[in-house]
Amino acid sequence: MTWWIPLRSLVRNRRRTALSIAIVALGTAISFFVYGFLEDSRLQIQASTVSEYGNLQIASPDLWENTADGYEYLIEPAAQAQVRTLLEAHDGLTGITEQLQFPGLLASGNETQVVRITAQVPENDTLTSDGFVVDGRSLQATDVAAVLVGRSLAARLGVGVGDVVTLTLTTVDGAYNATPLQIVGVYRFTSEQVELQRLFMPLSFAQRLLNTSGVDRLVVNLSSIAATDREAAAVQRQLDQAGLPLEARTWYELSPIYQQLSGYFDILFGFLTLAVFILVFFIILQVLTLAFLERTREIGTVRALGTTRGEVFRQLIAESAWLAVLGSLAGILIGGLLGAGFNAIGIEWQPPGTVEASVLSVQINGLTMLPPFLVGVAATLLSSIFPSVQTSRLRVVDALRVE
Amino acid sequence: MNEGRQFCHERGRPFLEARALGKTYQVGGATVHALRDVDFTAAQGDFIVINGPSGSGKTTFLNLISAIDRPSHGEVRIQGVSTNELSERQLAGLRKEKIGLIFQTFNLIPVLSAAENVEYPLLLQRLPKAERVSRVEAMLQEVGLGDMARRRPNELSGGQRQRIAVARALITQPKLVLADEPTANLDSETGGQVMELMRRLNEEHCVVFIVVTHDPAVTPYAQRKIRIHDGQLTEGVVA
Repeated sequence: MTWWIPLRSLVRNRRRTALSIAIVALGTAISFFVYGFLEDSRLQIQASTVSEYGNLQIASPDLWENTADGYEYLIEPAAQAQVRTLLEAHDGLTGITEQLQFPGLLASGNETQVVRITAQVPENDTLTSDGFVVDGRSLQATDVAAVLVGRSLAARLGVGVGDVVTLTLTTVDGAYNATPLQIVGVYRFTSEQVELQRLFMPLSFAQRLLNTSGVDRLVVNLSSIAATDREAAAVQRQLDQAGLPLEARTWYELSPIYQQLSGYFDILFGFLTLAVFILVFFIILQVLTLAFLERTREIGTVRALGTTRGEVFRQLIAESAWLAVLGSLAGILIGGLLGAGFNAIGIEWQPPGTVEASVLSVQINGLTMLPPFLVGVAATLLSSIFPSVQTSRLRVVDALRVE
Repeated sequence: MNEGRQFCHERGRPFLEARALGKTYQVGGATVHALRDVDFTAAQGDFIVINGPSGSGKTTFLNLISAIDRPSHGEVRIQGVSTNELSERQLAGLRKEKIGLIFQTFNLIPVLSAAENVEYPLLLQRLPKAERVSRVEAMLQEVGLGDMARRRPNELSGGQRQRIAVARALITQPKLVLADEPTANLDSETGGQVMELMRRLNEEHCVVFIVVTHDPAVTPYAQRKIRIHDGQLTEGVVA
C-alpha cells in the first residue's frame, strides 16, 4: 500500500526489531567474513597458478592426455610460427613464450633427484622468474648450460649458486644424454613440491640436449584472468580454422589442485551458508510469529476496514523485507569492519606443503558482499512467508475478539 | 465532507435488508444460537439504536450486517446485493467502499498518527495524495481535532480517540456506519459530543447509523430503537 506503514510497524517494538536485525546481521556478517576470506584465498591461489602456468597453454591433445608415444606431441618450428601469428592478433594478449618440459635426473655428489625441467626462452615476457629468484640471478639470453633451481632442491642436494650439477635425460630419439649445468640462480615458490622438482634452463640449450627443434607448448599471458575463457575459446576457434591439431587449455584446467581447492571452498561456503540460512530462518520465523500474533486485533481491524488478505500479506512481507534489507546491510557493514580489522592485523599462516607463510586477508568488495547479502535477505523473507500467510488468513471476527 | 454535503433527498430508500438471518456456533459439542431468524431492514437516513443484555447477539448481528462474518443461514442484502454471493475479496471491497465501522475500543492503529489513521481507508481506495490530505484535514476539523493530527493514539484522550475512530469511519463517505458501543469508554460529556457528531452526519449526509449500545444517553438520538434478546430482534417505540 505504502512503503512507510510497514517501516512504521517495525519501530513499534524496538527491542524485538533490534533483535531481529541483530540476528540477520550476525548471520550475514559471519557469512560475509568467511566468504571474503575464502575468496581472498581463492584469488591468491589463482594468481599463483597463473604465474605457474600462464593464462592458457597451447599444445597437442596427446600431451594433455598423455597418450603420445615418446615426443610425438612436439610442435615443430613451422607450426610454432603459425600459432604465434594467430595469437599476436589478440588484443588482450600480453606475452607468448615457447616451452619444453621433460623429465630428468639431477645429481650432485651422491645425491640424485628426479626433476622436471622447464625449458623456456630466457627473459621472456610471459613466465618471468625475476620475482622468484632469491639467490643469484634469472636466466639470461646469453646463458647456455645454465640452470635455475628451487630453494628446496638446492638445500636437498647441498648446492648453491655457482655450483655445477649433472643432468641425465633421454633424447627424443630415445638415447641417453648427460650434461653438466651451472646453477646461476635459486628461486622460491609457494609450493615445496615445485621447488623440489622443477628447474629452469634456456630453451635453445634444452633443444640441443633433446636433439629437437620442437617445443611441447606455447604459453600465453593475458591482461586479465577474467578474460581467460573468452580468449581460450577464440584461440581454439582460430586453431581449428587453421587446421592445426592443437588444443588451448586454461590455467584452471591445467591445475587439478586449483580445481580441488576451489571446489572445497565452494563446499565450505555452501555449508556455512546453509547453517546461517537455517539459523536465521528459524529464529526469525519464531520472532515474526510472535510479533504477528500480538497484532491479531490490529490485523482484524484493518481487515474489517476493507483491507484484503492479499494486502495484509503484502504488508507483512514488506515489513519482513525491511527487516531483511536493514539486517543484511548491517551485517555487511559489520562483516566489512571485521574484515578490515582482520586485514589490518596482518595474520600470517603457512599452509601445509608450502615454504612461505602468506598473509591471511578478507576480500571486501561488491562481489563478496552480494552472496551473503542475498542469503540474509532470502532467509528472512522465506521465514516470514508462513506467519504472513497465517496472519493474513485470520477470520476477521476471530481476530477482532482477541484482546 | 463539506464538499459532499447534501441534504437527505434519498431518505427512506431501502438500503439494508436481513432475511431469516441466523448464526450458530458449536461450543463443546453443543449448538449455540447467537442469532435466530432475524428479519431487519434499514433505509437511508435511518439512525437506529440497538440494545440488549450481554450475550444477546448484538455484536453477532453487527458482524453479519457489516459483512465481516457470514451467516449460518439467511442473508444480508446491501443495496440489493446479497453478501452470501460475494467472495472474501468482494466483501472487503464492500466494507471499504460502503461501510464505516466504529469499535468500542477504538481500534486505532497504534503506529499511525491521528491523521494517518483517518487517512488509512483512503489509502485502501488508492486516492491521490492531494485528495487524501484535503479530505483528512476537513474531517479532522469536522470532529474538532484539527490540531491533533500528528499525535499518536496513545497521546490522545479516550474521547479524542473515539472521535478519530468516527472520522476514520466517515472519511470514505460510507452509506452505512455501524458503531459498537461508541460511548462505552467515554465520559458523558465526550460521549455526548460523539453522538452529536453522528447525528449531524446522519442528518447532513443521509448516512445510515446503526449503533449498538447499553448507554441510555444514546437512546434519545434514535429514530428507531431495536432490542435484541436471545438472538431475536424486537422493534421498539421511540418516545
